[in-house]
Amino acid sequence: MAKLLDKQRYKCALGAMQTVQAINRAIPILHSGPGCAQKLSDSIGSSGYFSPNIFPCTSINEKDVVFGGVKKLDTTIENALKVIDADFYVVLSGCIPEIVGDDTGEVVSRYQEDGKPIVYASTAGFKGNNYKGHEQVIDAIIEQYLEKSEEKEEGLVNIWADVPYQDLFWLGNIRELEKLLKEIGLKPNAIFGYKNGIENINKIPKAQFNLLVSPWVSLSNVKKMERKLGIPYLHYPTLPIGAFETSKFLRTVGEFAGVDKEKVEAVINEHENYYYYLIERYADMFLETRVMAKQFSVVADAQYALGITKFLVNDLGLFPAKQFVADDTPKQYREKIKEEFKNLNYGIEAEVSFETDGYKIHNEIREHDYHGYPLILGSYYEKELTNELAGHYLNISWPVQDKVVLDDFYVGYTGGIRLIEDIYSVAVQRWN
Amino acid sequence: MSYKIAVASSDEINVDETFGQAERFIIYEANGKNYNKLETRDVVDETSKEGDSTDAEVKTGCDKKESGCGTGCGTGGGCGGAVPAKLEFLYDCRAVVCKKIGTQVQKQLEKKAISYFDVTCTVKEALDKITFYYNRIDNHISLRDKS
Repeated sequence: MAKLLDKQRYKCALGAMQTVQAINRAIPILHSGPGCAQKLSDSIGSSGYFSPNIFPCTSINEKDVVFGGVKKLDTTIENALKVIDADFYVVLSGCIPEIVGDDTGEVVSRYQEDGKPIVYASTAGFKGNNYKGHEQVIDAIIEQYLEKSEEKEEGLVNIWADVPYQDLFWLGNIRELEKLLKEIGLKPNAIFGYKNGIENINKIPKAQFNLLVSPWVSLSNVKKMERKLGIPYLHYPTLPIGAFETSKFLRTVGEFAGVDKEKVEAVINEHENYYYYLIERYADMFLETRVMAKQFSVVADAQYALGITKFLVNDLGLFPAKQFVADDTPKQYREKIKEEFKNLNYGIEAEVSFETDGYKIHNEIREHDYHGYPLILGSYYEKELTNELAGHYLNISWPVQDKVVLDDFYVGYTGGIRLIEDIYSVAVQRWN
Repeated sequence: MSYKIAVASSDEINVDETFGQAERFIIYEANGKNYNKLETRDVVDETSKEGDSTDAEVKTGCDKKESGCGTGCGTGGGCGGAVPAKLEFLYDCRAVVCKKIGTQVQKQLEKKAISYFDVTCTVKEALDKITFYYNRIDNHISLRDKS
């Protein structure tokens, strides 16, 4: 029997068009039905030089299902290359052409032979969600565009972290990670965000190593780069939020990159001093137990569920109730992620559930005894539920209706402070 | 369940006429994967029927021999006039196959849930593909499996 998924927290693989959009001056060419881009585009920071409304699309219909849509794809690509001034084109195929068997790869390869900066990714919805689609796009770049480089640039590090647009804070996070890496003397290279475009893609093969900050998304990408481009990788599964995790992160990265220990410690020391200065000033608020909930739950993708859980336990000393990873994490990664949730300070372990069905998640939250009102960090879906439970609620994961984020971020020392501000702003409103 | 497909072809071998140009449509009856020719339907000459030839020409916007698909086969229904007779006599068909088709006629056909396929190929190829497709979707068989 068909299964119904309540309150889905991701989109189909074609949602990877937002991954392409996050690359400066790159544009997706969609081989899909006419409604796909419309449905998939969020109006959260997706306008600009290219926006989903102008993405070239084959808009295939019944005729193309019956007679094949490759001709239309061919003319769409040809004309997109003529009229759109972009640095990089990514053809994404949706469900319909994949079902009827259009050979998108063959059409695109003809343009590649002509030397056009174009790649192709199969992002049919039935193949997975937009986290997988994101990986598919990066895979396409590795397989079809990048070449191994003998020349390496000392200290150059490729950063792979959040899934653009799916993660609200992707831009701020990338910029903050870049900043932190610069401070310990490395040269960060990310392909997403402000001024990050084709030049950064071209630099990928020269990197000393790939830095992956994510529990599972893009792990297959960095492995592929290790095989094809000979770039080693450092997998740091926890998004570093707050002083404890960020210092650990900088030490790990510094050691892997061979950075002088004293230099790393000096950077950490300076940041920690300021961080704890702030914490100290507000210690009375943190210690006022009436303000904050006794237990918390995070409902988000693996990246945020893990990152925030570690932060709230290790830095703020809160106690975790059950945590929910709602990004449909592939089974082979789940055990490792579960282990990470057990790896908290003070011998605390958090129980985690890999659940995509919002109905079940909400029932579990309702049934759990939070010893008072809960603190729920999740998507907009959790707002009503938290109201019902009279708890504290913060919108940190997709879908987002409750927050406008231009370049705010939760990563690093500053990010931790931002998250504290956001959480306690919610908490103090209860008393005022 | 059988259904009808109208094809605009001058020689019954190639789909070689636009909707507007076609003076007759070959009607095929299909059932499952099989199809065969049922009849030929001649297009009723609208200009002579409506009497005033100048007015009719404005309405249909077409000089029958020279018009491209954009004007010749499309504007008739869109100018506020009655639905051209050419359309009405295809209402019992499930699909229309022709070389090109104007947007106004497309809309009229969509209203009647008649599919249109503007393709340049042989009649056989078109019918093979269309009946394959309808057979699959009518019987809830995935289009993925090509065999």
